[in-house]
Amino acid sequence: MKRIQYILFAICILSIWSCKPEEFPPIGEAQNVVKSIQGTWGLTKVTQIDQDATTKGFPYKQLDITSVYPYTDLVVAFMGDAQGNPSTFTITSGNSPKIADLTTGNWAVDDVKAPTTISLKNGTITNSLSIGSYVSLKSGKLLIKRDKKLNGKVILSYQYEFTKK
Amino acid sequence: MNSLKSKQIMKKILLLIICCFGTIWASGQGKVTFSPATFTSEDEVTITLDVTGTPLEGANDVYIWAFSNDGVGGGKDASTNGQWGASSPNAKFTKTATNIFTFKFTGTILFGQSPAELINFGFLGKSIDGSKQTPDYKPFKFDPLVFTPGQFRLFPAKLDNTDMATVYFHQNLATDINLQRMTNIKVDLSFYNEAGSVVGSKQGIATVKESAILFSYSFIPDRVITVPAGTKLGKFTYQFSGTVKDAGGLDVQANGPVIEVVYTVFN
Repeated sequence: MKRIQYILFAICILSIWSCKPEEFPPIGEAQNVVKSIQGTWGLTKVTQIDQDATTKGFPYKQLDITSVYPYTDLVVAFMGDAQGNPSTFTITSGNSPKIADLTTGNWAVDDVKAPTTISLKNGTITNSLSIGSYVSLKSGKLLIKRDKKLNGKVILSYQYEFTKK
Repeated sequence: MNSLKSKQIMKKILLLIICCFGTIWASGQGKVTFSPATFTSEDEVTITLDVTGTPLEGANDVYIWAFSNDGVGGGKDASTNGQWGASSPNAKFTKTATNIFTFKFTGTILFGQSPAELINFGFLGKSIDGSKQTPDYKPFKFDPLVFTPGQFRLFPAKLDNTDMATVYFHQNLATDINLQRMTNIKVDLSFYNEAGSVVGSKQGIATVKESAILFSYSFIPDRVITVPAGTKLGKFTYQFSGTVKDAGGLDVQANGPVIEVVYTVFN
């Protein structure tokens, strides 16, 4: 009986002695979203979302309209300057319907570290687009959403999925 | 030749006179706006009424006289109406500027009816004793709170003249026997400017057969018709049609109703 007590005591001591703080591996460099957005992107999917139907819990909330017209012709290029800041953009529609009022101009983001909105500007015209998940950027997908509002309430959205070229 | 010219001039003068009278008549009708622009029967809505050009122009006190479900049955007077000769104080508009009045209400409370019962409403502005009044403003539709399946459907429910629209025909929900049996289903589209004149049409467009009972067609207006520069589309209509067999086994044309869709102006 005493021997068992000694063994248990030894196990406890060994267990406590073996505990030591574990070092976490480095989390890596923070993702530079603005830099990730820069480049040439081809439109691969367009989804129309009836936000009003979504709010009311109605059926028929969204529709994939990619194949209705040649949306996949559309190519967007977001350029950056030497410091990696947003500079100019071009939208080449081809035979695709327009996704914004502008085809060229400058682009900017609302927050350099964690952007949620891309603003396309040319003269007095500004188009605002929402940026989707950052995770998809790592896999070469850029999700952009354009909202249409009525008195501040989003009624209709278009979600554009781009693939890096 | 001279007679032809003078006839043309007379026509132009007549048109001008009609336009002038039209403008005078329109300006005498007052103006109504809603905030929010679209609403369900459970939303709080603010009516803004401009009484300029109506018998109430210059008035300090304007009272609402409201009624529900105009022309569709099951209507009620608003709980705030009171008597025509003595409006209730609860029906009083708030004056915000000369000739501009606002009134806040929630449909279900104002009419004491459930969302399922309320389809539309109308109202007029009046003096407390009913001696002066505006024309009727009606009908204003409440947005549905409950989805009701129907034989025709539009996606998205609200859209502007640049949006992709998809019109659907759910044949299993058709109420007319010809529509239930119709084959070779096509759709006709017509587009109208803001004045209500036809800008362009396309007939007999082949639909997409999504299943045995569902047919659809998706489009953006400027891909269907040529919209003249400077023209703004205000609405479009769609009509599904097809063929059914008559008693002799011959194909005869069958048409669904013409459905009108007014474009939303997003802001």
